[in-house]
Amino acid sequence: MNVKDYIESGILEAYILGSLTPEEEAQVVANIALYPEVAAEVAEIERAMHAFAKSMAKEPSPEMQDKIWDAIQQQSQSAPANMGNDSEDQVTAPKLIQFTPEHRKQNQWAQAAVWVALVGSLLVNIMFWFQKSDVQQKQVAMQQHIDTMQQKQAQFASLINNYEAEKRMMADTAMQTIVMHTVQANKPMAATMYWNKGKGEAYVSIGSMPPPPDGMQYQLWVIQDGKPVDMGTLPNNMAQTPAMLKAGMSVTSGQAFAISLEKAGGNPTPTTVYVVGKMG
Amino acid sequence: MPPVATYSEEELVHLLKQQSKDAFDYLYRQYSAVLYGVINKVVYDEQTAQDILQETFVKIWNNISQYNAQKGRIYTWMINIARNAAIDKLRSKGEIMKSKIQTGEDIVINIAGKIQTEQSTDTIGLRKMVSGLKPEYETIVSLAYFKGFTLDEISKTLGIPLGTVKTRMRHAMQLLRENFSV
Repeated sequence: MNVKDYIESGILEAYILGSLTPEEEAQVVANIALYPEVAAEVAEIERAMHAFAKSMAKEPSPEMQDKIWDAIQQQSQSAPANMGNDSEDQVTAPKLIQFTPEHRKQNQWAQAAVWVALVGSLLVNIMFWFQKSDVQQKQVAMQQHIDTMQQKQAQFASLINNYEAEKRMMADTAMQTIVMHTVQANKPMAATMYWNKGKGEAYVSIGSMPPPPDGMQYQLWVIQDGKPVDMGTLPNNMAQTPAMLKAGMSVTSGQAFAISLEKAGGNPTPTTVYVVGKMG
Repeated sequence: MPPVATYSEEELVHLLKQQSKDAFDYLYRQYSAVLYGVINKVVYDEQTAQDILQETFVKIWNNISQYNAQKGRIYTWMINIARNAAIDKLRSKGEIMKSKIQTGEDIVINIAGKIQTEQSTDTIGLRKMVSGLKPEYETIVSLAYFKGFTLDEISKTLGIPLGTVKTRMRHAMQLLRENFSV
């Protein structure tokens, strides 16, 4: 991308004036993270718009301040009260179900039933005796089926563990979520970083990125002082799964996270940047 | 009067998240006039503008946890809340649709006319600024910023190519930057 032409095009002005579509806006946000010149230009335009807005300032009538505070107080009081009512409604009284014993059937029917059961049992035994090998085969198949199910269950359990870990991370207020948007035209992709600035911990998830082509690998970067710093390559099987990977290095500062496509094993500097997310 | 504290944008966000009366008072003192000014450029009716101002502060109050510093400064975020609330009101009243079916020439006259009638009540600073922009620039800035038109809508309404809309936006903002660089 030619940064100068991009700045001259007027798209950054359109961004600040609020007349871009959400897709166009995401592109601009990515470019702000990627190019310091773009970020500087946007900051200048923002400054001019603030001055412009200030020049239009108009004092509202004096009673407005109390009126608005009252409105804020009222809506914050009514909101939790409603929630309380809803949860009470959800509690329902347990239902009692009464069992009545069936009347005893007449004795002769019971005797007949015993004979039918005996004869039936004998027939079934003979049948089983003939089909023993068949049953054994089926049993083996069943055992295999159970094994697969247990494997699947283990997979689900680890998936749930992942989600639990993710949930705990989300609940941590120090953890920032940074969405990395695509910078490749016509390629809708996104990846997510979870970053705890204080602890320097960073986790990456590439669930919305396509699997890399053969012989290629994704590589994670953190942009510090305008320079990309290698954070390592990402396993190819992470793409399109909710899997999260903890970065091997501690990150306590930077301007942006980025993911690029590189030859397997990675490169010392990024070749084709795919997604970028600015750090707060 | 006791000295008034001023906070950085980060401090303000932190303060607002605590939801105290002090935070509100500070917010209101610092920003109500700017937000009200922006709202007044979108809707001209005093009562409607006051309603929108109230709605704006309630939204800022409730959504402060959703503010994302990545996307820009808190100032821009608050102005955009005010602007969008006002533009939504304008849309719901059908005014915007009326203006969208007018021809480009009508729009220029219409907006120029509206701005002229307003000038009597505006501050000296604004009058100077607005007259500093050529009509073709002023129209584009007004349509985008105060009427919520997208690039495509501006291009279709004024009958000029998309590229021209963007370059005019660039020129208009360059002029604003010169006007406001003190």
